[in-house]
Amino acid sequence: MTIKAVYSTEITPEESAADLSSKLSDITAKFIIFFASSKFDSGALASAMQKQFDSASVVGCTTAGEIVSGKMLKDSVVAMAFDSQALEEVNIGVVENVKTENRVPEVFADFERKTGQKMIDLNIKKYVGIILVDGLSLAEEKLMDKIGALTDITFIGGSAGDDLKYKTTYVFAGGRAYTNAAVLVLLKPRVEFDVVKTQSFCDKNKVLEATRVNEAERIVYEFDGLPASEAYANALEVPVEEADSKFMSHPLGLMVGEEPYVRSPQQFQGSDMLFYCNIKEGMELNLLESMDIVQDMREVMKAKKIEHGKISGLINFHCILRTLELEQRSQTEDYGKVFEDVPTIGFSTYGEEYLGHINQTSTMLLFK
Amino acid sequence: MAGQIKRFLDQIVEQRSQGDNTIASTTRTKLILRGINPRNYTNDSADDPETIAEVRKIAQELGVTI
Repeated sequence: MTIKAVYSTEITPEESAADLSSKLSDITAKFIIFFASSKFDSGALASAMQKQFDSASVVGCTTAGEIVSGKMLKDSVVAMAFDSQALEEVNIGVVENVKTENRVPEVFADFERKTGQKMIDLNIKKYVGIILVDGLSLAEEKLMDKIGALTDITFIGGSAGDDLKYKTTYVFAGGRAYTNAAVLVLLKPRVEFDVVKTQSFCDKNKVLEATRVNEAERIVYEFDGLPASEAYANALEVPVEEADSKFMSHPLGLMVGEEPYVRSPQQFQGSDMLFYCNIKEGMELNLLESMDIVQDMREVMKAKKIEHGKISGLINFHCILRTLELEQRSQTEDYGKVFEDVPTIGFSTYGEEYLGHINQTSTMLLFK
Repeated sequence: MAGQIKRFLDQIVEQRSQGDNTIASTTRTKLILRGINPRNYTNDSADDPETIAEVRKIAQELGVTI
């Protein structure tokens, strides 16, 4: 059984794909997942990757930075290959027009034809899903809600990036690049797998209730009946003028028990607050405070190694805001090293998916 | 009348999970992410029509009969 992680820093899509193929020449890949800088011509890269791995199912997306065992990279392509001993089944579907439609059921119907089982009946210990979605579509919540309604299988993933240009992001499948789309992958691994979610925040025990919102546009107008910016600044005990400098270190969390599902503020628009994911009216959100991301991840990985004995592969969907914080603290090298001894790929996302759409989190799929 | 929301939420979790604790837990999380926190409702909670309508809508989407 082989799961192998590689990367390329070649210049063109064709050179990058050829380089990755060369580095994976010792494995007959059944499934390739890759994450690529937005510097590449997306269509050319999608085509080149499928051409190089013509007998494999190939998916991927653009990023805001890449992760591979031991390193955080820029302007690269990272890829993970799985052979047929690692994966029994791979099913891929593309959900197009995600901004205006929700065609997850069509893809799931196709998965049902291929597996011979209803999505709702699939064994959650045998199957796992991956979702890669246009990171500028604002469609993640409705896609995840639909997926979560139709199946109990865990779908984990990330929102594609474009190196902070915020222009266009792409997902890749079967040799094509798509925008305004999501790629869904249904895997049946032959090895045990685990899903990990970590966000490196502590709860400040201050609660803000969203009392007036525009859910679709991810805007909060009021918390606790006050202008959102004022209520947020009050919770932080700082003047409103200083509050936006605290966004990264003090996002809000929808608490599920002790576990925050992070909602990150993006900017003040007058007295309104724009977030990176939606907030429903009546939601109670706790003020969070950032902790040491590297230390937190070291502890998570240590615990998982003890729990599983060995980790044969890991895919890390890692929020761009966490990457920016690591860069601010000059910790990117240390963060990369946490995964030095584990075959790992990942990318800096525009949002993470696990049960719903979340921010400032690492959602990770781990293979034993 | 009171307590209808809690009863409906319990039915959603029970029917969806069929006794599987992992699915019960993720179903509760999905409800919270959709804005309905089961912990906020007890047998004494008022039967707010708007919340009941929302819970019915979620139940239908999840394929649960309440």
